[in-house]
Amino acid sequence: MAIAIKTEGLTKTYKLLMQKEPVNAVSDLDLEVHEGEIFGFLGPNGAGKTTTIKILLGLTYPTSGKAWLLGKPAGDIQVKREISYLPESPYFYEHMSGTELLDFYAQLFGTNGGARRQKVEDLLRVVGLYADRHKPLSQYSKGMLQRIGIAQALVNDPKLLFFDEPTSALDPIAHSEIRDLILRLRNEGRTVFLSSHQLSDVEMVCDRVAILNRGKLLKLGKLDELLHGGSVEITADGVDAATMEKLRNLQAHVATKDNRVIISQQQGEGVNQAIDIIRAAKGQVLSVVPLRRSLEDLFMEIIREENK
Amino acid sequence: MTILVIAKTTLGEALRKKILNIFLLVALAMIAFSVSFAYFTYREELTIIKSMGLGVIAIAGMFIAVVLGINLVPAEIERRTIYTILSKPVRRYEFLLGKFLGSLLTILINLALMTAVFLAMVTWKNHWQPDFALLKGILMIFFQLFLLSSVAMVFSVFTTPLVNFFLTSAVYVVGSLSDVTMALSRGEDKNPIIRGLYWLVHYLVPQFANFFTQNPLIHPEVAIRNEATYYAQNIIYAIIYAAVLLIIAILVFERRDM
Repeated sequence: MAIAIKTEGLTKTYKLLMQKEPVNAVSDLDLEVHEGEIFGFLGPNGAGKTTTIKILLGLTYPTSGKAWLLGKPAGDIQVKREISYLPESPYFYEHMSGTELLDFYAQLFGTNGGARRQKVEDLLRVVGLYADRHKPLSQYSKGMLQRIGIAQALVNDPKLLFFDEPTSALDPIAHSEIRDLILRLRNEGRTVFLSSHQLSDVEMVCDRVAILNRGKLLKLGKLDELLHGGSVEITADGVDAATMEKLRNLQAHVATKDNRVIISQQQGEGVNQAIDIIRAAKGQVLSVVPLRRSLEDLFMEIIREENK
Repeated sequence: MTILVIAKTTLGEALRKKILNIFLLVALAMIAFSVSFAYFTYREELTIIKSMGLGVIAIAGMFIAVVLGINLVPAEIERRTIYTILSKPVRRYEFLLGKFLGSLLTILINLALMTAVFLAMVTWKNHWQPDFALLKGILMIFFQLFLLSSVAMVFSVFTTPLVNFFLTSAVYVVGSLSDVTMALSRGEDKNPIIRGLYWLVHYLVPQFANFFTQNPLIHPEVAIRNEATYYAQNIIYAIIYAAVLLIIAILVFERRDM
């Protein structure tokens, strides 16, 4: 699979005034994002997500390490023709209208008159701002600014898109539309690098995720694989008090409901042991259901573990 | 092309800045009201109108150039508009030159408006005889502001607007006193180190004083020897000095983290 983004030992260190120790915003980051996937980039505030994106876009220089986008060094002027960026809480020139703003960005790509006008109109329709295209941006709501931000990110038909919190400040309907748009972009073969605190969104749309904390990469992998490996719920009948005690000794969570016993056990050998105990006590195993962790559970678990 | 696109946007934004429009309106009002000094003799009256008009244009232009220049880059970083621009195929020097060109166009338009009112007032008071020689003074003011804008630009790539305001203003004041720094550098009663410092200040700081040509324009009895050479030398000086400052600004900006 072709690589859209690659970093090797990417490090960004800031030396702050009045502080002896330099601060590592990004630390030795090795990352590979495949072409055509939606890649979730997660981490608490200050984890180094925006700094990483800025390095990849050539806005900030790394202290050490290297980064490539679509096979070319990050910051290369040619590669910028094929990428786009939507910053968090974007702000645009307020004196311009939606049409003028998109026209301005299209001009930066050298798009000529007729094609430019058509492109701008199409994009205004895609993000649902066609009716407000002549209004100055100073009269746009936060949600409308976010939409025009997304439109400017599509002005060059990019192969690789960087979205930093694209659904913040959006109402539920717009939120869902942007999620659908991101999925559509992936279906068109584009790569989306999505930095977001909206873990439910990330879980719904991303193929792979990376979790960062304090500049360090803590987890990287396919979402399905990362969320797999949670607990298993065993429902059994005919389990007496002594057997329940034995099950609790396996570190399982045991509860009763409607004369049935529900045992929650971490995946692994403990599940087989629990089933053996139930059978040995002449109990009946009714169901064994593996439970998928939510991304939020995984995220909290990883960050808490790191912060210990 | 990219430079022009950014310059056009900078101009569009600058022309809507309330503070700059206030400077312009106050200046236009002062130029227009200068004709109300009717209690002087005809010649004195005309001298006052010319003197006041050129002075007001120079001061208003200076404020406009400084306020524009100090905010050019910091405002873009603070509002994060620079992120979406520099993540597109825009080289940093193109962005910087576009911003600079946009500010120059804004200054030019403001100067043109003030000049139009000024010339109209002078023509009216001069029995409908226009005095186009005054345009030489406006030309010098423009190149002085061109130089001042490049000073503000070089500071704007690494300082905050407030610090930049004081730095640029200080450079302007010292540069406007270049005759004084020259005289001090020649003062024989002074310590040679101090004289050397004055000499350094005189030659390092842009010599804004050379662009004040109001006196010979207002008073016919005062003349500049080799006028064409004087104007040409100062214009070339402004262009070379501004080019050096812009190169420094570009070099600093190229390495700066956004």
